[in-house]
Amino acid sequence: MSATRELVAKLRRQLGEDEPLAPARPALPLTPPPRRVFPTKRAKSDYLREASQHTTALVGIGHVGTRYATDVVLQFQAELAVAHEAVASLLPEGWRAEHGLMLLNTEVADHQEYLMRPDLGRRLAAESRELLEAAALKDIDVQPILADGLSARACVESGMNVLSALTSQCMGLGLTLGTPMCARFARVWLEDEIGELVRAKVAIIILGERPGLGTGDGLSAYLVHRPTVGKTDGDRNMISNIHRRGLSPEAAGARLARMASAMIEQNISGVELDLSRVGGELGSQALRKPEPRVSLVECSR
Amino acid sequence: MNGAQDSWGRSTARSCLAALCWIESRSTLVAATRTDFGDLRLNLAATIKGHRYRFESVKEVLAKANAPKSGDRLAGVAAETPVERVAARAVLAELSLGELRNSPVVPYEDDELTRLVEDDLDLEAFEAVAHLAVGEFREWLLEVTTTGDKIRSISPGLTPEMAAATAKLMSNMDLMVAGAKCRVVTRANNTLGLPGTLSARLQPNHPSDDLKGILYSTREGLAYGCGDAVIGVNPATDSPESTAEILRELEGLKERHGIPTQHCVLSHVTVQMQALELGCPMDLMFQSLSGTEAGNRAFGISASLMDEASAMMGERRSSLGPNYMYFETGQGSALSSNAHHGADQLTLEARCYGFARRYKPFLVNTVVGFIGPEYLANGPEVTRAGLEDHFMGKLLGLPMGCDACFTYHADMSQDELESLKVLLGAAGCTYLMSMPVGDDIMLNYQSTSYHDVPSVRGLLGKRATPEFDAWLHEMEIMDGALPGKNFGNPSVLR
Repeated sequence: MSATRELVAKLRRQLGEDEPLAPARPALPLTPPPRRVFPTKRAKSDYLREASQHTTALVGIGHVGTRYATDVVLQFQAELAVAHEAVASLLPEGWRAEHGLMLLNTEVADHQEYLMRPDLGRRLAAESRELLEAAALKDIDVQPILADGLSARACVESGMNVLSALTSQCMGLGLTLGTPMCARFARVWLEDEIGELVRAKVAIIILGERPGLGTGDGLSAYLVHRPTVGKTDGDRNMISNIHRRGLSPEAAGARLARMASAMIEQNISGVELDLSRVGGELGSQALRKPEPRVSLVECSR
Repeated sequence: MNGAQDSWGRSTARSCLAALCWIESRSTLVAATRTDFGDLRLNLAATIKGHRYRFESVKEVLAKANAPKSGDRLAGVAAETPVERVAARAVLAELSLGELRNSPVVPYEDDELTRLVEDDLDLEAFEAVAHLAVGEFREWLLEVTTTGDKIRSISPGLTPEMAAATAKLMSNMDLMVAGAKCRVVTRANNTLGLPGTLSARLQPNHPSDDLKGILYSTREGLAYGCGDAVIGVNPATDSPESTAEILRELEGLKERHGIPTQHCVLSHVTVQMQALELGCPMDLMFQSLSGTEAGNRAFGISASLMDEASAMMGERRSSLGPNYMYFETGQGSALSSNAHHGADQLTLEARCYGFARRYKPFLVNTVVGFIGPEYLANGPEVTRAGLEDHFMGKLLGLPMGCDACFTYHADMSQDELESLKVLLGAAGCTYLMSMPVGDDIMLNYQSTSYHDVPSVRGLLGKRATPEFDAWLHEMEIMDGALPGKNFGNPSVLR
């Protein structure tokens, strides 16, 4: 026998001739690990109670080994699914017509292309450009534009409320308004081309914002003075977090009208716009306050 | 290494290309020709299966040799077919490192980053590798005899374009094997990057900078053994006052428990400089970097501003040093500000590292999935980008961490993201991020969780950095390599 074969045979003897492992010990009934409950649902400890006053971060969730308890896994998966569903949502067929909105399309053909080609979402389709030229009101103060953005769901849920609040507030301030319209597969900069075509002093695009975990109902609005293709982000002002738990659609409409009015008065928008003269809350960036984080998974049997 | 196989049984560059092309005869498959005209005009062409591919410039070769990325397609610089990509790689494999030095993707006259890399290049180290073709350099890196120390000697002679070119000839596992060899160790209040360690940035962001909210998240993370790289907050308000306020709060926590780590508030560098003027503690100074002068202008920075910032930290920092800067990068940032000069996003990413190394940073990390699917479309693209960036950064001598992450509109699953964290750990990544359930409640994206860090450490037999590991043991958060009795219990911290 060669030396190598001898060595292998010896190793085999050392490792055990038959089964490599000793027989498993008989199973005893298992005690379930202490149940970890998703914290905001049934917070017991002072730590959790106090933490939830200050943050929506999922703290105090405990662990099994180094991993999550099962209810945390399910909560996480539910929140992830909600965010993904919001991104995948589309404007329902007929929704825009039902609400008396002019239908505009970008050069984007489908949702996948929308995600991958921001450049196409910033340009109007040829027939939409013709429609705007033929049928939209021109030489107006404010052109509001609803759009799907990254959550059509948010647009459908709160878009009309923001638009009607904005409309009535603008009328109160003596500003003239453009034709109500809604663009599909749109990016922020689309407001430049639309605003230029209708010769608006201010264009405001209101669109679904990038969803966070468990959310997907937030709208953002971007305003630009003297819209023309080629404006940059530095030329714009924005407010975010428009939804029932954040800035209400009604309050957002009022804020947007005052910002538009300030842009026309100061003849500028973007970083140089003096918001302190607009009053109150507008001076500082609108921060998202912690929202209570609710358990999404209820299972009864 | 000239044979068909090296001592790892790993195919050489040539035969990798053959495998990719799926063609019967390896020897006649790819013929790259390269003719020097004495000046910088190179004949850049390769023939695959009788079809000849010609390229106009080294920049085009670099771009078309890049692994598929949506950002390169968006920029219109990607290879048009998979075979064209291989042809570009074949040409790239034959270019020498010296030729790459002569062909930066943005000319010397037009870009301060190019000038800075060229002017600071270690010529002795460069001379040692200048004659190697990129394909040979890839093989040299993978050889068993090429140790981390050897890589460290030649690293200052490499330009970013060389690192990017080499990455383009590597598979994911090549990137891991070579990346894991590199030795980069940095020190501030603790020592990062030692063998057998995997560190974590604790990222307790809060949508309205609520100090108590930040503190609750921080305590939770520390109780899972996270935070040895840095406790770093992205502020919602970019003001000197709030930057100083958050830093003082973190300083208090560090002092109460004697935590051997660093703190940082990731506001704009000019805001941090103003915060220093206010007289607050600051262990690390942060800034996002881009790969071109124009990209950095869009970020509101320049080399002279960063020189000034770094000098100010040299005098006023609250950490021990000698390293005290912290940079973040990420493929796609130059294109997003239209500052890419027709170059691909991998090469531009490498150029961020060329800039970063000037400041001997304590930490650098690439944020791979944050910018959106138009730059990295899906799980495979994000995964590859994380491994590429880690390799390139380490090769260029940087303490590379990775924010392995996705946004909710990218096509990447949670399972793919968790896998990437293990791959990065196995590749020797210096640190990962960490936050509650991986959910950044301010920036709205999904990253590494507090639970992931001890999980990856456990899987790979890694520990926190030694100073921090000792502290975890003292706090009974860890018991050796295993969770201790206070593991996951934030109430042991005040």
